Amino acid sequence: MNNNNFKNIILENIVTLFMKVMVIYSFYLLLRGHNNPGGGFIAGIIASTGFIFFAIIHGTKALQNIIKFQPQLFIASGLSLVFIAAFLPVIISKEILTGLWIQTKIPVWGEFHLGTPLIFDTGVFLVVIGVILTIVISIMEVLKWN
Amino acid sequence: MSVLPLAILTPFTFIILTLFIKNVRTRNFLSVTLAIINLGIAIYILSAVNSSEMLKTQMGSWPAPYGITLVADRFSAFMLLMSAVVFLAVTIYSVQSIDYERLKNNYFLFTYGILMGVNGSFLAGDIFNLYVWFEVMLMGSFILISFGGERAQLEGAIKYLILNLISSLFFVAGIGILYGKMGSLNMADLAYKFSLTGDFPSLFEPSLILLLVGFAIKGALFPFFFWLPASYHTPPPAVSALFAGLLTKVGIYSLIRIYTLFLHYYDYFWNPIILWMGILSMVIGVITATAQFDFRKILSFHIISQVGYVIIGLAFFTVSGLAAAIFFLGHNMISKTNTFLVAGWVHRETGTLNLKNLGDMFNRNTLWGVLFFISAFSLAGLPPLSGFAGKYLIIKAGIENNQILVAMVALFVGLFTLFSMVKIWIEVFWKNTPKQEFSEKELPKAKYLPFGYMITGSIFLALAIIVMGVWAEPIAGFCEKAATDLLNNQKYINFVLQ
Repeated sequence: MNNNNFKNIILENIVTLFMKVMVIYSFYLLLRGHNNPGGGFIAGIIASTGFIFFAIIHGTKALQNIIKFQPQLFIASGLSLVFIAAFLPVIISKEILTGLWIQTKIPVWGEFHLGTPLIFDTGVFLVVIGVILTIVISIMEVLKWN
Repeated sequence: MSVLPLAILTPFTFIILTLFIKNVRTRNFLSVTLAIINLGIAIYILSAVNSSEMLKTQMGSWPAPYGITLVADRFSAFMLLMSAVVFLAVTIYSVQSIDYERLKNNYFLFTYGILMGVNGSFLAGDIFNLYVWFEVMLMGSFILISFGGERAQLEGAIKYLILNLISSLFFVAGIGILYGKMGSLNMADLAYKFSLTGDFPSLFEPSLILLLVGFAIKGALFPFFFWLPASYHTPPPAVSALFAGLLTKVGIYSLIRIYTLFLHYYDYFWNPIILWMGILSMVIGVITATAQFDFRKILSFHIISQVGYVIIGLAFFTVSGLAAAIFFLGHNMISKTNTFLVAGWVHRETGTLNLKNLGDMFNRNTLWGVLFFISAFSLAGLPPLSGFAGKYLIIKAGIENNQILVAMVALFVGLFTLFSMVKIWIEVFWKNTPKQEFSEKELPKAKYLPFGYMITGSIFLALAIIVMGVWAEPIAGFCEKAATDLLNNQKYINFVLQ
């Protein structure tokens, strides 16, 4: 799509939709990850696959417009979340990386568990997205593939 | 909370912070600060281990054979301290030595990645976890060795990368087979299970051979050393100093750990192999070094020869032999790094490291000459420097162990080391500068006064060498205690599994 004015509206719209579906699905995988197949790593890979499809069709500039932040910032915030999840148990004098859980009952939902593994997984999710996008965007910029 | 995870969390903290900070000066300041904090933590762990024998942390509160354990005994605490000393010196040195472009592109992030991997490997009590820390360390080193993308650098990087990937493959394949046979990954648990098998070795040989080959490649031992001299002279000098000080030594550390926990149950098979690997590394490393005319290549070949000393100390498998091996490992880390640091200064001053084109560096800056003298002749084994004590302990252990021939070979190799170091000393520091090289442009005399970050790092290491040589007796006493703990692996097993 670079030098000739070829523009495929159907492809562009489908890819935008496709990216949204993948990102939403990745959130689903992230949240179910602790006891079922899924988790931060695979969710991050799926979300970044969506972003890469978007970048292939729309170019890296458009991708950077929709993700708003530098990919390095994703890595940094993800690592901070991992650090927080690892360090929280130390504050209440348990061993490092021990899982802390809150258990409550929500009227419609039923049993509801929330714990530090979710923070950890979110951190992994962000790091994976950040790393993959950093690699792919820099390769695409070097190859002038947009 | 136990103090052990702090050794891993400190580099991790730096990695997070440096991603948020954009200013290069702030980053440099932060990197030196955290290197000092890391040294403080290492000293604290050493003193804690010295008073309470061993420390452990069960990560995530999962008990020992199932969860991931971090263990520090005297040996790992000693290695932590030595690597912290080396890392602090190289960090201070890098602030001035590494060019602005690399610093701007987060050079220190990757050195801290290496530090995190090294600290983690020294503390790992779980063999798969050890593999993971190796990978963390290798990721950082892969990036550092190709960072900047100069032509020569990429050539070295490819050799380094491929050989290290192969060694990781062997290592992880060995772990897989071992896990299939034993059903455990915790090193203490594995050692306990090995002790129950009696003389029934054939079941485990493939996995143990794979592990040994993996560590031998990482540690640059005799048949597998060729990647090291092919790659260590290509990256910026500070990077090769860091690699020379830390990376191969982690391979050797793991080999000693694996040997004392698993392999010695079948030592009728392993002991001759280890002994000959050590002897041949020692001899071949030192003889090939004599043929080289590149400053850093000579030093790279000497890494192989020095690693051989450690390995023969391990092969004696007595308290004195292991103590000598541990002492020598520590001595070698600081001395070898400091020679590379001096090579970095020579490269910065003259732009070349070819011995034939160099000369008269002693008059250029006397202090750097003295620093090279201290570190190189510590490697060669002159008293009162640390190398003398190290070699003395190794040779004494050999004679006590009735391995007179090995001890003679070690002495002989020491002579050749002295020859190589004298060669560098004469060619680089004493002889007059060759005329034809600098006839057209007169090089400026001493670009800067003998202060600055580079020389601070180097002086720090030189002081460490002198301290280790002069106070060799208490340090050797500590190493002896560490060796006793290593030999008595029941203590390690009980401590981890209790």
